[in-house]
Amino acid sequence: MNIAGIGTICTRGRGIESFAHALQQGWKAPQFISLQSLPDKSFPVYPLNQESLMDKAVLGKMRRADRFSRMAALAAWDAVQDSGMALDGEHTMGIIVASAFGPHTTTFRFLDDILDYGEANVSPTAFSHSVHNTAASYIASLLDIRGPTITVSQFAFPFHQAILLAQAWLDEKRCDYVLVGSADESGRVMEYICSQKLRIADDGQIQPFHFSAAPKAVPGEGSVFFLMTSREDGRKYGELSEVALSSHRNEEEDKPDICILEADGMAGDETGYRDAVVPGAFAAGYSPLFGSMLTGSGFQCAAAALMLKEQIRYACPVQDNPGRVNICTVTETAEIHSIHCIRYHCGQKKAVIKLRR
Amino acid sequence: MKKAVVSGIGVISAAGKDLPETLDTFAQGKRNAGPVSLFPTLLTYPVFEVRDIPPQWHKEGMRTLSLALCAVAQALGDAGLPDDLSSLKVGVCLGTTVASQLNDLEFYRSFRNSGQAPMGAVDRFLRGNLAQAAAHTFKAEGPALTVVNACSSGADAIGISLSWLKQGICDLAIAGGADELNHVPLCGFGSLGIVSESLCAPFDRNRSGLNLGEGAGVLIIEAEDICRQRGKAPLAYLAGYGIAADAYHLTAPHPEGKGLEAAVRQAMASANITPDDVSFVNAHGTATPDNDKVEGTVLARIFGPDVKVLSTKGYTGHTLGAAGGLEAAFTVAALREGWIPASIGFVHQDTEIPLAPVAVKTPIEKGYGVSTSLAFGGNNTALIFSAAGCSVRSSSFRKCRDTA
Repeated sequence: MNIAGIGTICTRGRGIESFAHALQQGWKAPQFISLQSLPDKSFPVYPLNQESLMDKAVLGKMRRADRFSRMAALAAWDAVQDSGMALDGEHTMGIIVASAFGPHTTTFRFLDDILDYGEANVSPTAFSHSVHNTAASYIASLLDIRGPTITVSQFAFPFHQAILLAQAWLDEKRCDYVLVGSADESGRVMEYICSQKLRIADDGQIQPFHFSAAPKAVPGEGSVFFLMTSREDGRKYGELSEVALSSHRNEEEDKPDICILEADGMAGDETGYRDAVVPGAFAAGYSPLFGSMLTGSGFQCAAAALMLKEQIRYACPVQDNPGRVNICTVTETAEIHSIHCIRYHCGQKKAVIKLRR
Repeated sequence: MKKAVVSGIGVISAAGKDLPETLDTFAQGKRNAGPVSLFPTLLTYPVFEVRDIPPQWHKEGMRTLSLALCAVAQALGDAGLPDDLSSLKVGVCLGTTVASQLNDLEFYRSFRNSGQAPMGAVDRFLRGNLAQAAAHTFKAEGPALTVVNACSSGADAIGISLSWLKQGICDLAIAGGADELNHVPLCGFGSLGIVSESLCAPFDRNRSGLNLGEGAGVLIIEAEDICRQRGKAPLAYLAGYGIAADAYHLTAPHPEGKGLEAAVRQAMASANITPDDVSFVNAHGTATPDNDKVEGTVLARIFGPDVKVLSTKGYTGHTLGAAGGLEAAFTVAALREGWIPASIGFVHQDTEIPLAPVAVKTPIEKGYGVSTSLAFGGNNTALIFSAAGCSVRSSSFRKCRDTA
């Protein structure tokens, strides 16, 4: 499954060029906000810059869209633009949107309506936008895509499951192209929930190489989309060759040049990552750039795809390395053939996305 | 290409706690609707609530998951499978709408008022993700996917399981949908002006909107060779799946039904059949003015005005993410039973709809049954099932012998 184009939007800006720039620049401190429930502490988050969501030319058709849909639509739009593909209706395109929490800020806005105005006086617009597949619907309208459209919502490997389905659609020739991506947003309620359910990094630094049993997170938000195809002319960023949803390492598997460890404090015990690095490979981890997200895998894959395209090994943005694994410490040109993106969920379950040049 | 069969059915809705009770409800034309009893509300719309969830599947504060697990357990039992699936390559694909939203009103009220709220509602939400929870409960270790495609979620979950089987991603899949009756969609659909104050009347000239319902419908889909190797006779074949977007509007179907037509034709192509092979269509048939007009027009255009069509929403209400799963199960059951129930609620033909649904219990030939789903967001889905005992073309499925 070839990667023909990528679109990203996160705290570091919009577009794959912005993301590449962030990889070059390295770590930046998050914003520190105050929560009503934690009056004595500041709470770190990596929110989207509101300016990233301003694009009248693209979003003119979706003026009523909520923030979640705008975020996803811009990333999807940018993935198609990045590919250089003309949307002429000649090819069948599908859409798969993966999310952990969906447009929850809109759901809460709808609950505000119920509480403030009563059950019979709620906003139909807020309701229709609280439905999880709204973003996919906007993407379909924006790009005039009439192929299959699926939205998935879960906490364990949502992006991986979406990629697996995209691969199946391409293999059974249901589509020529699949626009597959993820989106998750932050917001005051989610920040409060994160403050209660996660250990938060008070200094604002996610530590991917501490391999801690009690890791710390810095909540982020954003969206990333990939335009995937089986066509050979769509290999701009190389190939996403396999999604392995297994906790067992296959000793016969191809040896990667780099293992991206997706440790970001979201899913509990991260001690398993210590043994996930394939001997002889570099270790990397880019979650400190964009924040902790259950759908953060998309951004890690975007980093991998950029490295394969540019043949650059990006330095890890946070390099505290008490376990002394062989991490990428400087950004430099390198011959890179294969990268594995490795994620654990709840300490036990492991999934790997493999990318090749 | 592997052929996919249905080997087990699980259903729970206002029409019945299992398939036999549901078929009895269908045969008698009963409508178990009433006012909302599950939560306090001032809204007076009639709804279709599930009265009794078996206690072993009752999960406090997780009604959608309770309904889903009940249907999954039934389907596994029907398929002759154990409750522990760890020795098999099993995928779980379940659709929902409500269970994917953190929409607990009391949690949110507390947060609004004080900036703090107890985490119980959050914990239930995190534990209640349908596919993950069902996979965990029944120890299914293949792919697990929760589909949130609004009202086509359950049907799409079944379609995705077909893709998984074709690609060898799993050998057996638990697929369908579940949803509970909940405050948010009740208020939301009300705000859209598409909920009826009376019992719904799909395709009727005087239809005035939908009734909300709740339930779960789950199928066991497996590769035919695996099913036969374990000594189980298939209930039906899952012959085709089509899915297409309108790219038109968030809440209204494309006025010409372009997406629906594309989905149905795609499903027929994947099943390698023509409209003449289709015995009946189990329509989405919500009883909203727009849906039924568009859907009826498209089905008449594809299958002709005399096609046997029904909507079962008059028995279950619109069960949202469960609807596609329940109606797929009812379609398979109809192929097995050789009859479809009356499209309850229909009395007067609408001159703007060039077909009329069946008004009485009607025998069908045991050929192919189509189940359609239309969703918010402009998604359209069609599933095609064929009766077990059909002879099969080398490329796909052959027109069934009439075994009725």
